[in-house]
Order: sequence, then structure tokens, then C-alpha cells
Amino acid sequence: MNALIAAGTEYTSTTKDGKLLEYIMGHVQKGYHFMGATLPDWLPNQVLAMMIVSVILIVLFGVLYKKNQKVPTGVTNFLEVFVLFVRNEITIANLGEKDGRKWAPLFCNFFFFVLGCNLLGLIPGSATATGNVNVTAGLAAITLLSMTVGVMVVNGPKQWFMAFVPHGVPLPVLFLLTPLEILGLAVKAVALMIRLFANMMAGHIVLFSLIGLVYVLGNVALPFAGVSLAVYGLELFVAFLQAYIFTYLSAMFLGSVLHPAH
Amino acid sequence: MTIPTLAAIGAGIVTLGAGLGIGKLAASAMDGMARQPEAAGKIQGAMLIAAALIEGVALFGAVVCLMSIKG
Repeated sequence: MNALIAAGTEYTSTTKDGKLLEYIMGHVQKGYHFMGATLPDWLPNQVLAMMIVSVILIVLFGVLYKKNQKVPTGVTNFLEVFVLFVRNEITIANLGEKDGRKWAPLFCNFFFFVLGCNLLGLIPGSATATGNVNVTAGLAAITLLSMTVGVMVVNGPKQWFMAFVPHGVPLPVLFLLTPLEILGLAVKAVALMIRLFANMMAGHIVLFSLIGLVYVLGNVALPFAGVSLAVYGLELFVAFLQAYIFTYLSAMFLGSVLHPAH
Repeated sequence: MTIPTLAAIGAGIVTLGAGLGIGKLAASAMDGMARQPEAAGKIQGAMLIAAALIEGVALFGAVVCLMSIKG
């Protein structure tokens, strides 16, 4: 906000509302500023945020996580809570005992990457990587590929196709239902992508707008600083919830194709 | 009736839909938890998942409103 008040020359709008809108859109989308520093042309701020999250995850799980302890202590104990939660409640509940353990690393990856990106975006001055639709599209593409190619490799193409043919319906209805079920694969992946992207971007826009009310209206809008603190707490909750929802829905969709109920 | 005005009205209607849907869901969840307190944990988990799904649909609409303003 100081940059906005101090040097408003780089924004083309003349009114305060217009400048606020440009500030919000410049800070929620891809940009080249990170914590006050200007980044080179080839490194947008969301890419830098993803790199930072990757380094943090590699250090936490590769270096600090001691695998050979009988009783975990310290960082291992703290991370074990989340890893066991993902493995037991999400993968084994949706994929069964054997497949759940086999596919657990992928879903742990989803959960911790999305959680790390969401939480890093809440620090003032940094960027939200999952607030870019291309990042969430990549994650949803991994789920889509695992639902099609991954299941075809394990089960075989005919068995994969049989998962979309419901039992107990007459033949003419089958010709209508089966393309709809296969279309449902694409719809589920697109829904995963848009849900995560819209939650992150909308949350940040609301937060910036509420803080920006103080800039637009002046002294009378000072209580909105308290309201924006409450919205920040909601954003923290939404960060955890969206990471859990993305992982849980990916596991549920994969389970419905890998072990069809019908 | 410019496009940003209509987009703002649309975003308000989206919020109406989301509030109605999640309110009905929360009412049923409260009823269920009051009738059978032992199942409160499971009901709470299912409520959270369903609320996130409904909010996902509401945010599809919000994304359309945002995109109609910018691009």
C-alpha cells in the first residue's frame, strides 16, 4: 500500500478506486515483485514461490525427517501426524489397504505441496502459486492422467472401460450413460482445477479489497482493519481445507475408477 | 447497466446461492448431531466435505464474474 500511496505514477487510472483495482489485480496475478525485490524477466513471482515451497519440502522431508526411529521425536513427530492422516483417512479409506499404501506418496505430495503453496501465499509480500490457474491445472492434470493412463496400466484398457458401464440398466440407456460417464472424468478434473484456483484467488482479492477500503475511504474505514484480520483467519482455515479437499477428491475419483463399485 | 455493474450483481446472486445451499446443509448437520451425539465426528467430516463442494460451485460463478470484468 505504501508503494501505491507514494508513487502512483505507474498506474494508468486517475481515481482512487481505479488505482486500488489495478493494485489488487497486479498483486493477485503473475508479477515480477517478491518481498519488495524486482525479479528478472524469466522468473515470475509465483514460480519463485513454488521453488521456495519445493526447497522447504525437500529439507523438511528429506533432511530433517528421520526414518529409522522406533519412536518419532521432534520434527518427525510433527510431520508424522499429517502423513498418517493423509495415508489413513484419505488414501486407505478411498483406495483400500493394498493400493492405498502404494499410492500414498502421490497423495502426500499433493497435500503438502498445495498446503505449502497456500500458506506461503499468506505471508505479506509473497505470491500464491496455487492462485494461478496454470499451477492448479497441472495438479489436476496429474489426477486426470492417473485416472486414465495409470488405471489402464494397472487394470488393462477393457477393465478400465468397464468401470464406466453401470450394471442393471437396459442397453439403449447404456449408449447414453457411458459417454456421459467418460465426459465426467474431464469435468471432475476441471472442477478440481477451478475449485482450488478460485478459492485462493478470491480469498486474496477479498483480503486486498478490505485493506484497500482504508486507502479509499480514509480514517472512517479504520475498523475494516479488524474485519480484514478476521478474513485473514478465514483464509488460513481455507488454506488447510482446500489442501485436504483437493487430496480427498483426487483419491475418491481415483478409487471410483480403480475399484469400481458397479 | 455496464458490464462491471452486471458482474457485481452476478457475484451477489452467486453469494445468495452459496449461502442458501450451505445454510441448508448446516441445518441438517446440526439436526443429525443433536439426534445422535455419538456420530457427531463423522457428520462433521462429511459436512465439511459437502460444504467445500458447494463452495466450489459458487466459486465457478465468481470466476466467471471476475473474468468478465478483466478480459
